[in-house]
Amino acid sequence: MKLEIGRIYIKDIQLGQETSVKEGVLTVDKEGLIAKLKEDERIKDVSLDVAKPGEKVRIIPVKDVIEPRVKIEGGNNGFPGVTSKQAQCGEGKTNVLYGAAVVTVGDVVGFQEGVIDMWGEGAKWTPFSKTYNLTVDISVVDGLTPHAHEETVRIAGLKAAEFVGLAGKDVTPDEVITYEMGSIFEETAKYPNLPKVLYAEMMITQGLLHDTYIYGVNAQTILPALLHPNEELDNAVISGNCVAACDKITTYQHQNNSVIEDLYAQHGKEINFLGCIMVPEHTTLAGKLRVSDYVLKLAKMLGADAVVISEEGYGNPDSDLLMICKKCEKAGIITQLITDECAGRDGMSQPLADTAQEAVAVVSGGNVSHVVTLPPADKIIGNAAAIAVLAGGWDGALLEDGTLMCELNAVIGSTSEIGFHNVTCRLY
Amino acid sequence: MVHMCTVVPISLTVGANRIVPTVAIPHPLGNPALNHEEEKELRRKLVEKALRALTVKVNGQTVFEDQ
Repeated sequence: MKLEIGRIYIKDIQLGQETSVKEGVLTVDKEGLIAKLKEDERIKDVSLDVAKPGEKVRIIPVKDVIEPRVKIEGGNNGFPGVTSKQAQCGEGKTNVLYGAAVVTVGDVVGFQEGVIDMWGEGAKWTPFSKTYNLTVDISVVDGLTPHAHEETVRIAGLKAAEFVGLAGKDVTPDEVITYEMGSIFEETAKYPNLPKVLYAEMMITQGLLHDTYIYGVNAQTILPALLHPNEELDNAVISGNCVAACDKITTYQHQNNSVIEDLYAQHGKEINFLGCIMVPEHTTLAGKLRVSDYVLKLAKMLGADAVVISEEGYGNPDSDLLMICKKCEKAGIITQLITDECAGRDGMSQPLADTAQEAVAVVSGGNVSHVVTLPPADKIIGNAAAIAVLAGGWDGALLEDGTLMCELNAVIGSTSEIGFHNVTCRLY
Repeated sequence: MVHMCTVVPISLTVGANRIVPTVAIPHPLGNPALNHEEEKELRRKLVEKALRALTVKVNGQTVFEDQ
């Protein structure tokens, strides 16, 4: 499978009367996009705005972040199985508006959406302070159930990214990155002495607006599935999560999964990267047991020497992470875990809900309970008062002068468990 | 003490002695797929199981899988 990602560098963003990229400036046809999104009769109102790196702008409450792209060759444009007909993702050519992002805003269920600050202290904690953001604030018609509301906003975000992405159709990319891998047999013949490494990507699939979709299929309903890494890098995986903002994997982070990028970079050098197993996180013990058995079975069938496992969320999925770790290690397959910590505001509590002796190689994305103080913004996109009901916020977290106190929990992508974020480790 | 919980391995890790497995994380003692009568019966069975577990002398950590 061969995928060429053409990056068109975006250096500025503005609303206008056409959708285009000229000299790195992305212009979005404001009325055209609003009309496009309003084709969905569940949408009452759409408000578009832009937020640029360095501006004293706060975006709250954020649901998802999506990278605008356009398919140039192969497959289908948009998100196959969701906004367009089913097609194979991961092949051909895709142009990316690199540096731009669509950010969906608006209360969905009144909790567990997040915040993005574009400047200062807040900007340090979220990777999406560095992107030129088109914010899409959606309000829906009265009487929609929360599930229909979530779906409406999810699809609107994807459609907006597709609409904006079209601006890159006839633009020559500034940089082209090729992701190419043959069959597992071909790659193993090429690199017979390199350790065979799988990536098991856990996804929140717990219902109650905590879901992830692959080609439009709710991953709650799947057994762990093998994906070519190119598929995830090419719009196959979508976030439908209204969960703690700090470590949910936004659609943008799926499209640019850092673990996949890093494993690809080492493929043929230090490792033989076999592919990705997409692992649902269930709410029942039977589900957790089944999934961990299944990951081990796939790892054995593929002859993996090692598995990198990344978690999404914290709390009960910690047990899934450790079950997979224990079962693989006992079978002689080395594991390396990526998680984050819910270690209390002083960082002194037990960081994970479960533990295992076999978990000896663990990377932490940060402490979700760490409290940050974010100074007042000049401009709020969305609704500042939402912090009172976000996970990681509390009633009274918004001070009178506009200062916001919250746990990292509320900051989008702040403790990413796929390493797509700003926090790093220091050895003492 | 009896610990009623869905993710038994966590219950074992934290050191509970009497563990009664429950239904699912969002609804440990219920099941939205059932009707009201069935759900009440399920709930009652689980609570009765927990009460019975309290009466059993245990030597170390015990998971009460069956009736």
